[in-house]
Amino acid sequence: MVDQGKESILQFAPFQSAVDEGFWHRLSSLKLNKLGIDESPIPITGFYAPCSHNQVSNHLTLLAESLPPESSEQSFVPAISRGNRNRCPVPGILYNTNTLEGFQALDKQSLLRAEAEKIWEDINSGKVEEDSSVLLRFLVISFADLKKWSFHYWFAFPALVLDPPATVVHLKPAAQWFSVEEAESVRTACNDWRNMCSTTDVPFFLVSISSNSAVTIRHLADFEACQREGHKVLFGFYDPCHLPNNPGWPLRNFLWFICRRWSLQKVHFFCYRENRGFADLELSLVGEASISNVQELRNHQNMPNAVGWEHNNKGRKTSRCISLAKTMDPTRLAIAAADLNLKLMRWRQLPSLNLNVLSSAKCLLLGAGTLGCQVARMLMAWGVRKITLVDSGKVSMSNPLRQSLYTLDDCLNGGEFKAKAAVKSLARIFPAVEAESVVMAIPMPGHPVPSQEENSVLEDCRHLHDLIDSHDAIFLLTDTRESRWLPSLLCANANKITITAGLGFDSFVVMRHGAGPLSSSDEVKAGDVNDLSAEVGTLSLMENIRSQRLGCYFCNDVVAPIDSTSNRTLDQQCTVTRPGLAPIAASLAVELLVGILHHPSGILAKAEFSSSSDSGYEQPLGVLPHQIRGSLSQFSQMTLVGHASTSCTACSSTVVSEYRKRGLDFILQAINHPTYLEDITGLTELMKSAGSFELDWDYEGGDEDEECVEI
Amino acid sequence: MVVSSDGTLSSTEFCLAAAVFSEQWRKFNSALPQWSWVPSPKRPWISHNKEEGYLSVENVILPELNEEGRRDEDLIEKEECSCAEGDEFIDAAVLIQNDGAGAHHYDFHVVYSASYRVPVLYFRAYCSDGQPLLLDDIEKDLPLNSVEQLTRSRWLFITQEEHPQLNRPWYTLHPCGTSEWMKLLLRDDASAAQVEGIPMDKYLISWFSVVGQVFRLRIPLEMMNLGCT
Repeated sequence: MVDQGKESILQFAPFQSAVDEGFWHRLSSLKLNKLGIDESPIPITGFYAPCSHNQVSNHLTLLAESLPPESSEQSFVPAISRGNRNRCPVPGILYNTNTLEGFQALDKQSLLRAEAEKIWEDINSGKVEEDSSVLLRFLVISFADLKKWSFHYWFAFPALVLDPPATVVHLKPAAQWFSVEEAESVRTACNDWRNMCSTTDVPFFLVSISSNSAVTIRHLADFEACQREGHKVLFGFYDPCHLPNNPGWPLRNFLWFICRRWSLQKVHFFCYRENRGFADLELSLVGEASISNVQELRNHQNMPNAVGWEHNNKGRKTSRCISLAKTMDPTRLAIAAADLNLKLMRWRQLPSLNLNVLSSAKCLLLGAGTLGCQVARMLMAWGVRKITLVDSGKVSMSNPLRQSLYTLDDCLNGGEFKAKAAVKSLARIFPAVEAESVVMAIPMPGHPVPSQEENSVLEDCRHLHDLIDSHDAIFLLTDTRESRWLPSLLCANANKITITAGLGFDSFVVMRHGAGPLSSSDEVKAGDVNDLSAEVGTLSLMENIRSQRLGCYFCNDVVAPIDSTSNRTLDQQCTVTRPGLAPIAASLAVELLVGILHHPSGILAKAEFSSSSDSGYEQPLGVLPHQIRGSLSQFSQMTLVGHASTSCTACSSTVVSEYRKRGLDFILQAINHPTYLEDITGLTELMKSAGSFELDWDYEGGDEDEECVEI
Repeated sequence: MVVSSDGTLSSTEFCLAAAVFSEQWRKFNSALPQWSWVPSPKRPWISHNKEEGYLSVENVILPELNEEGRRDEDLIEKEECSCAEGDEFIDAAVLIQNDGAGAHHYDFHVVYSASYRVPVLYFRAYCSDGQPLLLDDIEKDLPLNSVEQLTRSRWLFITQEEHPQLNRPWYTLHPCGTSEWMKLLLRDDASAAQVEGIPMDKYLISWFSVVGQVFRLRIPLEMMNLGCT
């Protein structure tokens, strides 16, 4: 409450802006679809309502419907409906610039004056009496950054300045100013005014109090009539402010209008505020303002000064910025939706699902063909984000049919490199994927290297070694047997999770390699042991101590990988398989990886079968087999186990330690002389001692356990 | 008309229940802002004249938890254009305010899900100036036991979905468990009120007595008198 008699300046609480997210969405779409680079000002409508909370002021709000409707509006944006008590419409204008520099360069002073000028004219012309909301005309400048989804904006609520400023004679809660009968009558009159569609959104009015305490609410145009009737008149307005000692901003221009129109030196005003939809006379204020030079103001020719740029919530006069990236940026929305999908799976079905281990697993895919494309897609579906694809080939015309990441466009002009096209395709499916491409051929034994190419082949070997070291899981998805040899060796060396998928015409194999034979501390030093076979003996003893490893792709082979592709006709060189196989095998390969990542023993997990009870730990994802072999001609599938062979050309300790000892020299030797591998692993010996017998690919050697289980 | 035993309700029943719910709310819960029915816009290619829409209450400031903890700058990147330009005129008549980010405002919509056949609560939160709040900020507004309940419960968790009418992402209490717990709840409510079954139009009152708890929006006891029609 303000002391009477003191000439303190009447201080108004500034209007505060609030912009609903929907406004920015609509402005963005308007800018993109209709306006383009057009920077002409846009007429908009703001909405406000009288204060309805004793601790929080109401704001001038911009909603989606604040912008003018587009003629071919597809979305169902409701037109502005009058008669909404919570949405009194107020005219405004929006200047939206095309650049941030443009936004900063706008002449704010002159824009403010231009709008203040319109208010001035409306006061002088009598427009205010027709439509009093023009007293609240406002201005917004903005810059919509549609790449970053952030919006810079600044509101101005032009107010004509009284010079000297109006002073307060008194200001108190309405309940203390009205008599009891008057209060009752005021409440009724206000509630009626607010409940009628035609008047509920008219923010300026007269409170006319007759001598017998009957109160009516009248339009501004009725002022002279009220005077003639001898009634006490208060100038009322919807006050957005909640403060007990300050009226809201609308009173500023209202006072100017009253001075101009009726030359009153003392103005009695009524700040109307509500609670729960009814007039609240404790919160509402009644006050008296004194305008000392009212005659001078009446004759004022020029427009007075105008103020009104909004202060931010720290009290500084500066623009604001809002970021809507999280709700508008399609990439973020896609990420949120994908995460939700996996989380729902975890909530509803699989509480032990470890989404973190999946999203952080770095997967290396060797081969971007039928298997590679499907594996990549399945990995993304499981929430794996880090995928590297290695392939030396280009997309050819028959590929898009079976290789699900490519389209015809990738085949044109000689064809894009598969690895690169695959990465682009993955990003189109899910923008947050972190996919990388490596265009590289995998060196293969049995394909001897001419000496001028030696360096580049060794470079490729080094590169492959580094790739394998830097990833957590490696998928061998190439189309020849020999191309899997070097990766298998390197994975065994680095003890990485390795999954192989291979296709026959109507059959497939998917398997996980066992752990590597040597731990990183099992270094074999160069000069220690001269006798190779003695070395083999010692090491296989260590292996037995180290418990039986599961085998790799080559453990069942009794011949070293050789060139399987030359001297064959074209149709034999291309792998021809029934199209349904690759997606099945690829899906199983990914599900197998997910199983390993969730298994407490990880790469060391033993082979499990559906009927076995040897794993006391009940896995929510089910069993974790070693190998799955399936046949489309039978529509059947079975799980198998094969243990590591001490004579394996890829993962035996002999070979791995030889690689550790001699590195790339060893590789080169193996590539150029395939029998070398057979010699050092003892396979040559084995074959000689076995005499002559048919080598059957599907027949396992003697010392391995095996269970065949039909699924 | 009694609620079906599987905890779901039809679209027509939802409209009726919505009317009863908002009317009862007005009668018994007038301290809080009131619900209004927002009809869905008529689509010209659909022939039936069935009324469809959703319940909405907006600009709710949640009952205060405690006075600590609303830091001013806990919101997302709010860069400011430092193009501050003063008016040439120093204005003595303006009150400078320095209130900080202000209160958190909530909008709640109750929308019918045709696929789950249950009501779904959609909500969003924003600051006084319109800046939307994220789930992390919202969780700070919720009472502690709500947050615990949400993280552990199979039936009640917050996800982000596209609002079916407004086509923007809103937060929602996922409806997949609703029919299950409504089934149990209605059975308990019926035995408490000593009636055979709860009348259909009281469905939303029962439903809100659970979901409202997440936000400390209580249904007063008088409103829970579900036995009478």
